[in-house]
Amino acid sequence: MILSQEVKKAKRTGFIPTFLVGGLLAAILPVLNTAVRSENYLGLPGTPLQILFDANWSMMALLNILLIVGGACLMYYTEYADNAIQKMKSLPIKEGMMFVGKAVLLSTMYVIVLTIETLSFIFSSYHWFGLYNGFWLELGKNFGYVFLLGLPSIMLSLLIASAFKNMWIALGINVIGVFMAMMIYNMSFILSLFPFAMPFRIFGGTDPNRVLQFIGAAFIGIIVIGILEFIFLKVRRSFE
Amino acid sequence: MNIIETHNLTKAYSNFTAVSDVSLNIPKGKVYGFLGPNGAGKSTTMKMFLGLTKPTSGSFAINGKKYPNDRIQILKEVGSFIESPAFYGNLSGEENLDIIRKILDLPKSSVDEALEIVGLSQWKGRLAKKYSLGMKQRLGLASALIGRPPILILDEPTNGLDPIGVHEIRALIRSLPEKFDCTVIVSSHLLSEIELMADKIGILNHGNLLFEGTIEQLKQHVAATGYPTANLEDTFLALINEDNTRRGEGR
Repeated sequence: MILSQEVKKAKRTGFIPTFLVGGLLAAILPVLNTAVRSENYLGLPGTPLQILFDANWSMMALLNILLIVGGACLMYYTEYADNAIQKMKSLPIKEGMMFVGKAVLLSTMYVIVLTIETLSFIFSSYHWFGLYNGFWLELGKNFGYVFLLGLPSIMLSLLIASAFKNMWIALGINVIGVFMAMMIYNMSFILSLFPFAMPFRIFGGTDPNRVLQFIGAAFIGIIVIGILEFIFLKVRRSFE
Repeated sequence: MNIIETHNLTKAYSNFTAVSDVSLNIPKGKVYGFLGPNGAGKSTTMKMFLGLTKPTSGSFAINGKKYPNDRIQILKEVGSFIESPAFYGNLSGEENLDIIRKILDLPKSSVDEALEIVGLSQWKGRLAKKYSLGMKQRLGLASALIGRPPILILDEPTNGLDPIGVHEIRALIRSLPEKFDCTVIVSSHLLSEIELMADKIGILNHGNLLFEGTIEQLKQHVAATGYPTANLEDTFLALINEDNTRRGEGR
Protein backbone atom coordinates (compact mmCIF):
# COMPACT_ATOMS: atom_id res chain seq x y z
CA MET A 1 0.00 0.00 0.00
CA ILE A 2 2.81 2.42 0.82
CA LEU A 3 4.08 2.18 -2.77
CA SER A 4 0.67 2.79 -4.35
CA GLN A 5 0.13 5.77 -2.04
CA GLU A 6 3.41 7.32 -3.08
CA VAL A 7 2.68 6.68 -6.77
CA LYS A 8 -0.63 8.46 -6.32
CA LYS A 9 1.00 11.42 -4.58
CA ALA A 10 3.45 11.73 -7.48
CA LYS A 11 0.60 12.13 -9.98
CA ARG A 12 0.89 15.21 -12.22
CA THR A 13 4.27 16.18 -10.77
CA GLY A 14 6.22 14.92 -13.78
CA PHE A 15 8.03 12.48 -11.51
CA ILE A 16 7.51 9.31 -13.56
CA PRO A 17 7.98 10.93 -17.02
CA THR A 18 11.20 12.54 -15.77
CA PHE A 19 12.63 9.16 -14.84
CA LEU A 20 11.55 7.59 -18.10
CA VAL A 21 13.01 10.42 -20.20
CA GLY A 22 16.15 10.50 -18.05
CA GLY A 23 16.55 6.75 -18.42
CA LEU A 24 16.18 7.02 -22.19
CA LEU A 25 18.68 9.86 -22.33
CA ALA A 26 21.24 7.84 -20.37
CA ALA A 27 20.49 4.79 -22.53
CA ILE A 28 21.27 6.69 -25.71
CA LEU A 29 24.83 7.33 -24.51
CA PRO A 30 26.38 3.86 -25.06
CA VAL A 31 24.59 3.51 -28.40
CA LEU A 32 25.75 6.89 -29.66
CA ASN A 33 29.23 6.55 -28.22
CA THR A 34 29.78 3.12 -29.76
CA ALA A 35 28.19 4.12 -33.05
CA VAL A 36 30.40 7.18 -33.43
CA ARG A 37 33.65 5.70 -32.10
CA SER A 38 33.26 1.97 -32.61
CA GLU A 39 36.82 1.58 -33.88
CA ASN A 40 38.11 2.85 -30.53
CA TYR A 41 36.27 0.17 -28.59
CA LEU A 42 36.13 -2.93 -30.78
CA GLY A 43 39.80 -3.77 -30.31
CA LEU A 44 39.98 -3.22 -26.56
CA PRO A 45 40.71 -6.12 -24.19
CA GLY A 46 37.95 -7.30 -21.84
CA THR A 47 34.41 -8.38 -22.35
CA PRO A 48 32.13 -6.17 -24.46
CA LEU A 49 30.05 -5.31 -21.41
CA GLN A 50 33.12 -4.24 -19.49
CA ILE A 51 34.24 -2.10 -22.43
CA LEU A 52 30.81 -0.49 -22.65
CA PHE A 53 30.64 0.15 -18.91
CA ASP A 54 34.16 1.59 -18.81
CA ALA A 55 33.38 3.91 -21.69
CA ASN A 56 29.97 5.15 -20.62
CA TRP A 57 29.08 4.41 -17.02
CA SER A 58 30.48 7.51 -15.31
CA MET A 59 28.26 9.78 -17.41
CA MET A 60 25.28 7.42 -17.13
CA ALA A 61 25.74 7.15 -13.35
CA LEU A 62 25.84 10.93 -13.07
CA LEU A 63 22.54 11.18 -14.91
CA ASN A 64 21.09 8.44 -12.71
CA ILE A 65 22.11 10.16 -9.49
CA LEU A 66 20.78 13.49 -10.68
CA LEU A 67 17.49 11.74 -11.40
CA ILE A 68 17.49 10.22 -7.91
CA VAL A 69 18.26 13.55 -6.28
CA GLY A 70 15.65 15.42 -8.33
CA GLY A 71 13.08 12.71 -7.68
CA ALA A 72 13.71 12.74 -3.92
CA CYS A 73 13.36 16.53 -3.75
CA LEU A 74 10.23 16.49 -5.89
CA MET A 75 8.57 13.89 -3.69
CA TYR A 76 9.15 15.86 -0.51
CA TYR A 77 8.25 19.11 -2.28
CA THR A 78 4.73 17.74 -2.85
CA GLU A 79 4.54 17.01 0.89
CA TYR A 80 5.71 20.43 2.01
CA ALA A 81 4.24 22.71 -0.69
CA ASP A 82 0.67 22.80 0.63
CA ASN A 83 1.48 21.40 4.05
CA ALA A 84 0.14 17.94 3.16
CA ILE A 85 2.80 16.47 5.41
CA GLN A 86 1.01 17.90 8.45
CA LYS A 87 -2.17 16.08 7.46
CA MET A 88 -0.19 12.87 6.97
CA LYS A 89 1.38 13.27 10.41
CA SER A 90 -2.05 13.57 11.97
CA LEU A 91 -3.17 10.26 10.46
CA PRO A 92 -2.54 6.86 12.04
CA ILE A 93 0.65 6.10 10.12
CA LYS A 94 4.22 6.41 11.22
CA GLU A 95 6.10 9.24 9.54
CA GLY A 96 8.98 6.85 9.01
CA MET A 97 6.73 4.69 6.83
CA MET A 98 6.28 7.61 4.47
CA PHE A 99 10.05 7.75 4.10
CA VAL A 100 10.13 4.00 3.44
CA GLY A 101 7.37 4.38 0.83
CA LYS A 102 9.34 7.07 -0.95
CA ALA A 103 12.51 4.99 -0.80
CA VAL A 104 10.63 2.03 -2.32
CA LEU A 105 9.19 4.20 -5.11
CA LEU A 106 12.54 5.81 -5.86
CA SER A 107 14.21 2.38 -5.89
CA THR A 108 11.52 1.10 -8.25
CA MET A 109 12.10 4.02 -10.58
CA TYR A 110 15.82 3.38 -10.37
CA VAL A 111 15.23 -0.24 -11.41
CA ILE A 112 13.17 0.99 -14.38
CA VAL A 113 15.92 3.41 -15.39
CA LEU A 114 18.55 0.67 -15.04
CA THR A 115 16.38 -1.66 -17.12
CA ILE A 116 16.17 0.90 -19.93
CA GLU A 117 19.93 1.36 -19.74
CA THR A 118 20.48 -2.39 -19.66
CA LEU A 119 18.46 -2.75 -22.85
CA SER A 120 20.79 -0.23 -24.39
CA PHE A 121 23.83 -2.28 -23.27
CA ILE A 122 22.25 -5.42 -24.72
CA PHE A 123 21.64 -3.67 -28.02
CA SER A 124 25.15 -2.21 -28.18
CA SER A 125 26.80 -5.52 -27.25
CA TYR A 126 24.72 -7.45 -29.75
CA HIS A 127 25.09 -4.94 -32.55
CA TRP A 128 28.80 -4.16 -32.35
CA PHE A 129 30.36 -7.08 -30.48
CA GLY A 130 27.95 -9.99 -30.71
CA LEU A 131 26.61 -11.91 -27.74
CA TYR A 132 28.87 -14.44 -26.08
CA ASN A 133 28.85 -17.21 -23.49
CA GLY A 134 28.24 -15.80 -20.03
CA PHE A 135 26.87 -12.51 -21.37
CA TRP A 136 23.55 -12.72 -19.52
CA LEU A 137 25.15 -13.74 -16.26
CA GLU A 138 27.63 -10.88 -16.50
CA LEU A 139 24.80 -8.51 -17.36
CA GLY A 140 22.76 -9.70 -14.37
CA LYS A 141 25.72 -9.23 -12.02
CA ASN A 142 26.35 -5.72 -13.32
CA PHE A 143 22.68 -4.82 -13.01
CA GLY A 144 22.43 -6.12 -9.45
CA TYR A 145 25.67 -4.46 -8.44
CA VAL A 146 24.87 -0.98 -9.74
CA PHE A 147 21.35 -1.23 -8.32
CA LEU A 148 22.60 -2.18 -4.88
CA LEU A 149 25.24 0.53 -4.88
CA GLY A 150 22.60 3.09 -5.86
CA LEU A 151 20.44 2.42 -2.79
CA PRO A 152 22.54 4.40 -0.27
CA SER A 153 22.36 7.43 -2.56
CA ILE A 154 18.56 7.03 -2.70
CA MET A 155 18.43 6.95 1.09
CA LEU A 156 20.76 9.93 1.53
CA SER A 157 18.98 12.10 -1.02
CA LEU A 158 15.65 11.35 0.69
CA LEU A 159 17.12 12.09 4.11
CA ILE A 160 18.30 15.49 2.88
CA ALA A 161 15.02 16.18 1.06
CA SER A 162 12.97 15.30 4.16
CA ALA A 163 14.95 17.73 6.28
CA PHE A 164 14.17 20.92 4.39
CA LYS A 165 10.80 22.49 3.66
CA ASN A 166 12.41 24.60 0.97
CA MET A 167 13.07 22.28 -1.97
CA TRP A 168 15.85 24.47 -3.34
CA ILE A 169 17.95 24.05 -0.21
CA ALA A 170 17.56 20.27 -0.32
CA LEU A 171 18.26 20.20 -4.05
CA GLY A 172 21.30 22.44 -3.64
CA ILE A 173 22.82 20.28 -0.90
CA ASN A 174 22.12 17.12 -2.88
CA VAL A 175 23.63 18.50 -6.08
CA ILE A 176 26.74 19.68 -4.22
CA GLY A 177 26.98 16.15 -2.80
CA VAL A 178 26.73 14.64 -6.28
CA PHE A 179 29.44 16.86 -7.75
CA MET A 180 31.64 16.25 -4.74
CA ALA A 181 31.13 12.52 -5.28
CA MET A 182 32.22 12.89 -8.90
CA MET A 183 35.52 14.30 -7.74
CA ILE A 184 36.24 11.82 -4.96
CA TYR A 185 34.90 8.48 -6.14
CA ASN A 186 38.20 7.43 -7.64
CA MET A 187 40.51 8.94 -5.03
CA SER A 188 40.46 6.23 -2.36
CA PHE A 189 38.36 3.33 -1.17
CA ILE A 190 37.13 5.22 1.90
CA LEU A 191 36.07 8.26 -0.12
CA SER A 192 34.35 6.05 -2.68
CA LEU A 193 32.06 4.82 0.10
CA PHE A 194 30.32 8.22 0.18
CA PRO A 195 26.73 7.31 -0.78
CA PHE A 196 26.63 9.58 -3.83
CA ALA A 197 29.98 8.15 -5.01
CA MET A 198 28.96 4.50 -4.86
CA PRO A 199 26.73 4.43 -7.97
CA PHE A 200 29.79 5.40 -10.07
CA ARG A 201 31.39 2.03 -9.31
CA ILE A 202 31.18 -0.77 -11.87
CA PHE A 203 31.32 -4.49 -11.41
CA GLY A 204 33.59 -5.48 -14.28
CA GLY A 205 37.30 -5.26 -13.59
CA THR A 206 36.80 -4.80 -9.84
CA ASP A 207 38.59 -7.15 -7.47
CA PRO A 208 36.03 -9.68 -6.07
CA ASN A 209 36.99 -8.77 -2.49
CA ARG A 210 36.44 -5.11 -3.24
CA VAL A 211 33.07 -5.97 -4.77
CA LEU A 212 32.09 -7.67 -1.53
CA GLN A 213 33.33 -4.69 0.47
CA PHE A 214 31.23 -2.32 -1.61
CA ILE A 215 28.17 -4.55 -1.25
CA GLY A 216 28.68 -4.69 2.51
CA ALA A 217 29.18 -0.93 2.64
CA ALA A 218 25.98 -0.41 0.66
CA PHE A 219 23.97 -2.47 3.15
CA ILE A 220 25.56 -0.65 6.08
CA GLY A 221 24.87 2.70 4.37
CA ILE A 222 21.19 1.84 3.90
CA ILE A 223 20.81 0.85 7.55
CA VAL A 224 22.77 3.79 8.95
CA ILE A 225 20.90 6.39 6.87
CA GLY A 226 17.60 4.71 7.81
CA ILE A 227 18.49 5.03 11.49
CA LEU A 228 19.57 8.65 10.98
CA GLU A 229 16.22 9.47 9.39
CA PHE A 230 14.41 7.80 12.29
CA ILE A 231 16.43 9.86 14.82
CA PHE A 232 15.92 13.02 12.78
CA LEU A 233 12.13 12.58 12.78
CA LYS A 234 12.13 12.01 16.54
CA VAL A 235 14.29 15.06 17.23
CA ARG A 236 12.34 17.30 14.86
CA ARG A 237 9.07 16.47 16.58
CA SER A 238 10.55 17.63 19.89
CA PHE A 239 11.29 21.05 18.41
CA GLU A 240 8.04 21.55 16.51
CA MET B 1 -17.93 11.51 31.06
CA ASN B 2 -14.88 13.25 29.66
CA ILE B 3 -13.53 12.04 26.34
CA ILE B 4 -10.40 14.21 26.58
CA GLU B 5 -8.60 15.04 29.79
CA THR B 6 -5.36 16.92 30.15
CA HIS B 7 -3.31 17.26 33.30
CA ASN B 8 -0.98 20.24 33.64
CA LEU B 9 -0.22 20.12 29.94
CA THR B 10 2.72 22.38 29.13
CA LYS B 11 4.60 23.23 25.98
CA ALA B 12 7.63 25.41 26.40
CA TYR B 13 10.03 26.58 23.71
CA SER B 14 13.44 27.99 24.46
CA ASN B 15 12.26 31.54 25.08
CA PHE B 16 8.55 31.29 25.83
CA THR B 17 5.84 29.00 27.13
CA ALA B 18 3.07 28.42 24.60
CA VAL B 19 0.88 26.32 26.89
CA SER B 20 1.23 26.41 30.66
CA ASP B 21 -0.19 23.80 33.06
CA VAL B 22 -3.46 23.47 31.21
CA SER B 23 -5.95 20.98 32.62
CA LEU B 24 -8.95 20.51 30.36
CA ASN B 25 -12.04 18.36 30.74
CA ILE B 26 -13.83 17.85 27.45
CA PRO B 27 -17.16 16.02 27.72
CA LYS B 28 -18.17 13.29 25.33
CA GLY B 29 -20.76 14.02 22.67
CA LYS B 30 -20.57 17.81 23.01
CA VAL B 31 -19.11 20.74 21.11
CA TYR B 32 -16.22 22.18 23.11
CA GLY B 33 -15.21 25.70 22.18
CA PHE B 34 -11.60 26.59 22.58
CA LEU B 35 -11.36 30.32 22.81
CA GLY B 36 -8.50 32.76 22.99
CA PRO B 37 -6.75 35.57 21.14
CA ASN B 38 -4.14 34.79 18.50
CA GLY B 39 -1.08 33.21 20.09
CA ALA B 40 -2.98 32.05 23.17
CA GLY B 41 -1.88 28.44 22.69
CA LYS B 42 -5.03 26.96 21.15
CA SER B 43 -3.33 25.50 18.08
CA THR B 44 -0.37 24.27 20.13
CA THR B 45 -2.72 22.42 22.48
CA MET B 46 -4.54 20.88 19.55
CA LYS B 47 -1.25 19.93 17.93
CA MET B 48 -0.24 18.17 21.12
CA PHE B 49 -3.48 16.14 20.99
CA LEU B 50 -2.45 14.94 17.54
CA GLY B 51 1.16 14.29 18.44
CA LEU B 52 2.31 16.99 16.01
CA THR B 53 4.25 18.56 18.82
CA LYS B 54 5.55 16.96 21.96
CA PRO B 55 4.39 18.24 25.37
CA THR B 56 7.21 19.53 27.56
CA SER B 57 5.40 18.23 30.64
CA GLY B 58 1.99 17.08 31.75
CA SER B 59 -0.16 14.39 30.23
CA PHE B 60 -3.38 13.81 28.40
CA ALA B 61 -5.70 10.97 27.53
CA ILE B 62 -8.14 10.79 24.64
CA ASN B 63 -10.98 8.32 24.90
CA GLY B 64 -9.06 6.47 27.60
CA LYS B 65 -5.91 6.23 25.49
CA LYS B 66 -2.77 7.84 26.76
CA TYR B 67 -0.23 9.82 24.80
CA PRO B 68 2.44 8.94 23.72
CA ASN B 69 2.00 5.17 24.15
CA ASP B 70 -1.32 5.02 22.28
CA ARG B 71 -0.61 7.75 19.73
CA ILE B 72 -1.56 5.68 16.67
CA GLN B 73 -4.73 4.45 18.39
CA ILE B 74 -5.63 8.05 19.27
CA LEU B 75 -5.12 9.17 15.66
CA LYS B 76 -7.45 6.41 14.42
CA GLU B 77 -10.26 8.03 16.41
CA VAL B 78 -9.53 11.68 15.68
CA GLY B 79 -10.36 13.68 12.59
CA SER B 80 -8.48 16.94 12.50
CA PHE B 81 -8.10 20.24 10.78
CA ILE B 82 -5.23 22.33 12.12
CA GLU B 83 -4.44 25.97 11.34
CA SER B 84 -4.81 25.92 7.57
CA PRO B 85 -5.97 23.41 4.99
CA ALA B 86 -3.28 20.80 4.30
CA PHE B 87 -3.49 18.96 1.00
CA TYR B 88 -1.64 17.80 -2.11
CA GLY B 89 -2.07 20.63 -4.60
CA ASN B 90 -1.29 18.36 -7.54
CA LEU B 91 -4.24 16.10 -6.71
CA SER B 92 -7.96 16.73 -7.00
CA GLY B 93 -10.14 17.07 -3.92
CA GLU B 94 -11.39 13.54 -4.45
CA GLU B 95 -7.88 12.13 -4.84
CA ASN B 96 -6.75 13.92 -1.68
CA LEU B 97 -9.54 12.32 0.30
CA ASP B 98 -8.88 8.94 -1.30
CA ILE B 99 -5.34 8.96 0.08
CA ILE B 100 -6.73 9.57 3.57
CA ARG B 101 -9.43 6.95 3.01
CA LYS B 102 -6.86 4.30 2.20
CA ILE B 103 -4.77 5.12 5.25
CA LEU B 104 -7.86 4.92 7.46
CA ASP B 105 -9.02 1.77 5.66
CA LEU B 106 -12.47 3.18 4.94
CA PRO B 107 -14.96 2.16 2.24
CA LYS B 108 -14.85 4.05 -1.08
CA SER B 109 -18.22 5.65 -0.38
CA SER B 110 -16.74 7.62 2.52
CA VAL B 111 -15.00 10.01 0.08
CA ASP B 112 -18.24 11.02 -1.60
CA GLU B 113 -19.98 11.26 1.74
CA ALA B 114 -17.34 13.65 3.12
CA LEU B 115 -17.45 15.75 -0.04
CA GLU B 116 -21.23 15.88 0.16
CA ILE B 117 -21.22 16.98 3.80
CA VAL B 118 -18.99 19.98 3.10
CA GLY B 119 -20.68 20.81 -0.20
CA LEU B 120 -17.71 20.11 -2.42
CA SER B 121 -19.11 17.27 -4.57
CA GLN B 122 -19.47 19.51 -7.59
CA TRP B 123 -15.77 20.39 -7.58
CA LYS B 124 -14.32 17.04 -6.50
CA GLY B 125 -12.46 16.57 -9.77
CA ARG B 126 -10.76 19.97 -9.70
CA LEU B 127 -7.12 20.17 -8.60
CA ALA B 128 -6.87 21.27 -4.97
CA LYS B 129 -4.34 23.99 -5.84
CA LYS B 130 -6.99 25.58 -8.05
CA TYR B 131 -9.57 25.71 -5.26
CA SER B 132 -10.55 29.05 -3.76
CA LEU B 133 -9.62 29.65 -0.11
CA GLY B 134 -13.12 28.71 0.99
CA MET B 135 -13.03 25.52 -1.05
CA LYS B 136 -9.64 24.60 0.43
CA GLN B 137 -11.12 25.16 3.86
CA ARG B 138 -14.00 22.85 3.00
CA LEU B 139 -11.58 20.24 1.71
CA GLY B 140 -9.71 20.46 5.00
CA LEU B 141 -12.97 19.93 6.84
CA ALA B 142 -13.86 16.99 4.61
CA SER B 143 -10.50 15.40 5.39
CA ALA B 144 -11.32 15.70 9.09
CA LEU B 145 -14.87 14.40 8.73
CA ILE B 146 -14.12 11.45 6.48
CA GLY B 147 -15.09 8.16 8.08
CA ARG B 148 -17.12 9.92 10.81
CA PRO B 149 -14.45 9.83 13.52
CA PRO B 150 -15.72 9.88 17.12
CA ILE B 151 -13.58 12.94 17.90
CA LEU B 152 -13.10 16.01 15.74
CA ILE B 153 -10.46 18.64 16.35
CA LEU B 154 -11.10 21.74 14.27
CA ASP B 155 -8.80 24.72 14.50
CA GLU B 156 -10.54 27.88 13.32
CA PRO B 157 -12.54 26.01 10.67
CA THR B 158 -14.45 29.03 9.39
CA ASN B 159 -11.38 31.08 8.43
CA GLY B 160 -11.56 32.22 4.82
CA LEU B 161 -15.20 31.31 4.34
CA ASP B 162 -17.79 33.80 3.13
CA PRO B 163 -20.71 34.63 5.48
CA ILE B 164 -22.91 31.93 3.94
CA GLY B 165 -20.09 29.41 4.24
CA VAL B 166 -19.48 30.43 7.86
CA HIS B 167 -23.16 29.93 8.64
CA GLU B 168 -23.21 26.52 6.91
CA ILE B 169 -20.11 25.27 8.68
CA ARG B 170 -21.32 26.53 12.05
CA ALA B 171 -24.63 24.74 11.54
CA LEU B 172 -22.75 21.62 10.46
CA ILE B 173 -20.49 21.66 13.52
CA ARG B 174 -23.45 22.25 15.79
CA SER B 175 -25.24 19.25 14.29
CA LEU B 176 -22.28 16.84 14.28
CA PRO B 177 -22.60 15.40 17.82
CA GLU B 178 -26.18 14.41 17.15
CA LYS B 179 -25.71 13.34 13.53
CA PHE B 180 -22.45 11.41 13.86
CA ASP B 181 -22.39 10.75 17.58
CA CYS B 182 -19.08 12.53 17.95
CA THR B 183 -17.31 15.07 20.12
CA VAL B 184 -16.10 18.29 18.52
CA ILE B 185 -13.34 20.54 19.80
CA VAL B 186 -13.44 23.76 17.85
CA SER B 187 -11.20 26.75 18.32
CA SER B 188 -11.78 30.38 17.52
CA HIS B 189 -10.70 33.80 18.65
CA LEU B 190 -14.30 35.00 18.42
CA LEU B 191 -16.56 34.41 21.38
CA SER B 192 -19.58 35.33 19.26
CA GLU B 193 -18.75 32.42 16.98
CA ILE B 194 -18.06 29.93 19.75
CA GLU B 195 -21.21 31.01 21.56
CA LEU B 196 -23.28 29.83 18.61
CA MET B 197 -21.67 26.41 18.48
CA ALA B 198 -20.32 25.27 21.82
CA ASP B 199 -21.85 23.52 24.79
CA LYS B 200 -18.78 24.11 26.91
CA ILE B 201 -15.90 26.52 26.48
CA GLY B 202 -12.32 26.89 27.59
CA ILE B 203 -10.68 30.31 27.46
CA LEU B 204 -6.92 30.46 26.97
CA ASN B 205 -4.66 33.48 27.19
CA HIS B 206 -0.87 33.39 26.98
CA GLY B 207 -1.00 29.63 27.38
CA ASN B 208 -3.03 29.74 30.61
CA LEU B 209 -6.55 28.44 31.03
CA LEU B 210 -8.55 31.38 32.37
CA PHE B 211 -11.93 29.71 32.44
CA GLU B 212 -13.62 26.42 31.67
CA GLY B 213 -17.35 25.81 31.78
CA THR B 214 -20.63 26.55 30.01
CA ILE B 215 -21.56 29.97 28.64
CA GLU B 216 -23.98 30.33 31.55
CA GLN B 217 -21.24 29.57 34.02
CA LEU B 218 -19.05 32.14 32.28
CA LYS B 219 -21.76 34.76 32.69
CA GLN B 220 -22.11 33.91 36.39
CA HIS B 221 -18.35 33.93 36.82
CA VAL B 222 -17.87 37.36 35.28
CA ALA B 223 -20.92 38.78 37.04
CA ALA B 224 -19.42 37.67 40.32
CA THR B 225 -16.17 39.41 39.49
CA GLY B 226 -17.88 42.62 38.38
CA TYR B 227 -17.34 42.48 34.63
CA PRO B 228 -20.01 43.44 32.08
CA THR B 229 -22.31 40.56 31.14
CA ALA B 230 -24.66 42.25 28.69
CA ASN B 231 -22.35 41.59 25.76
CA LEU B 232 -20.32 38.39 25.87
CA GLU B 233 -17.69 39.80 23.52
CA ASP B 234 -17.05 42.57 26.08
CA THR B 235 -16.94 39.96 28.81
CA PHE B 236 -14.33 38.00 26.92
CA LEU B 237 -12.24 41.09 26.22
CA ALA B 238 -12.46 42.14 29.85
CA LEU B 239 -11.22 38.72 30.96
CA ILE B 240 -8.32 38.82 28.54
CA ASN B 241 -7.40 42.41 29.38
CA GLU B 242 -7.47 41.68 33.08
CA ASP B 243 -5.15 38.73 32.55
CA ASN B 244 -2.86 40.84 30.36
CA THR B 245 -2.78 43.59 32.98
CA ARG B 246 -1.91 41.07 35.67
CA ARG B 247 1.03 40.06 33.51
CA GLY B 248 2.05 43.67 33.02
CA GLU B 249 0.94 43.84 29.41
CA GLY B 250 -2.22 45.90 29.76
CA ARG B 251 -3.13 48.08 26.79
